[in-house]
Amino acid sequence: MDTKSKTKEVLSSLLKVKIDELKDDVSLINSIGVDSTEMVESVIALEKSFGVKLSPKEITKNSTINDIAENIQSKLAK
Amino acid sequence: MGKIAITGIGVVSPSGIGKRQFWANIKSGRSFIKKITRFDASLYPSHIAGQIDDLEKYSHISERLLKKIDAFSHMALVASELALQDAGIDIKNEDPSLMGIFLGNAIGGWLYAETELRDLYLEGREGVSPYMASAWFPAAPQGQVSIYYGIKGFSKTVVSDRASSLMALGYAKKVLEKDKLNMILSGGMEAPVTPYALLCCNTYGSLSENNQNPNEAYRPFDKERSGFVIGEGAGIVVMESVDRAKKRGASILGLISGYGYSCDGVDRINCSGDGKELARAISMALSDAEANIEEIGYISLDGLAVGLWDDSEIKALEIVFGEYLKNIPVSCPKSMFGNLLGASGALDMIIALLNMEHGLVAPTLNLETPVLKGLNYVAKQAKEYKITKSLIISRGRGGINSVLVIEKHPAL
Repeated sequence: MDTKSKTKEVLSSLLKVKIDELKDDVSLINSIGVDSTEMVESVIALEKSFGVKLSPKEITKNSTINDIAENIQSKLAK
Repeated sequence: MGKIAITGIGVVSPSGIGKRQFWANIKSGRSFIKKITRFDASLYPSHIAGQIDDLEKYSHISERLLKKIDAFSHMALVASELALQDAGIDIKNEDPSLMGIFLGNAIGGWLYAETELRDLYLEGREGVSPYMASAWFPAAPQGQVSIYYGIKGFSKTVVSDRASSLMALGYAKKVLEKDKLNMILSGGMEAPVTPYALLCCNTYGSLSENNQNPNEAYRPFDKERSGFVIGEGAGIVVMESVDRAKKRGASILGLISGYGYSCDGVDRINCSGDGKELARAISMALSDAEANIEEIGYISLDGLAVGLWDDSEIKALEIVFGEYLKNIPVSCPKSMFGNLLGASGALDMIIALLNMEHGLVAPTLNLETPVLKGLNYVAKQAKEYKITKSLIISRGRGGINSVLVIEKHPAL
């Protein structure tokens, strides 16, 4: 599974939203109205799933799925 | 001094969800006390309770929100929605800054807290849900209901043990009297059927251990009483001024006309045995309602099924009502579904409203031989009575006394 699909799957399962609500190029705040506590949960869940260290400053409410997947991908490539 | 209209009722209880189902079960005198099956409670001295197993069927709450909240907030959200629907209120048409919430709770949301604390010790700090902080505390339901409906007016959560919700209703009345808000959602919620909360309730030492006969365990005022049985649920009503209710053509289900309160101040756990402070709270409520004792047509008893508490409750009534007490039907219908602790008073008030509406007094179960005779106990089955004013008593640990007077709206 590619990074983007896995990112969507992790967030969908964690936040109990449908996968198609998570838009590739729309921010999480605008697509699913994510709140700040959900963002804390999301960063921890993504770190666990991908085995990378992520900062809450890098992944925010204003990040899109594309942004998040690219960030993770670049860390995986290092 | 003001009378506040109740225009909507929301009930989530072991005896039913929604006021119709609830009333159908209450008037028939059916017990809903059962052995606890949610977890293995067999080693607890008392392992029976009034439980709600079908909340999801009536719930409008998304899975996304459910994972962030405890069961007691879920119950409050469902009861609030039922109350608003019953009142015919579309929240979109309301001014959010003129709506408030006054709820009562005694112990907080332990199902959530227990699970997360277990994970803290098993997995470390990253194992704990970030929602833990906002899920467990007693004011969480007030917060969740306010967020859900966008309510922004003056609101409070009252934590006064079992007297919490009746006290919340009393405070809501006082706030509406001052004309500071248009409407208030008020009542209480409690979810004590969890491993830790049940342990605390058992440690309190007043629970019935008649586990072999759950239906017969809770027997307030009876010679064979052995303590109370816990229950879970929520009771929430819509309160607004009579003028506003009339203006919008709402059905006025009853009026809250008097509120009284006092504390015994004699012990950390027990109440005072003389009933004097409870009598003062009753007199205060009657005076606030400008009601004579002869006008009271029903008394809802707190009925803890513990000698000191039951007997001092009757003493207080004798102090206030004297000889006239024997004329007034009295009952403790929570014997059917359990004592909802911080939500118990709200359920008692809702039953008293339904009693008045239907001209029927719901019974006390298991009252075979009253310890203190000479009262007009309504036992075993419902009895017909025309009631225009009712008195509701709710008491908390250490002798916190809370009393409401409610009455029928004259147009009814």
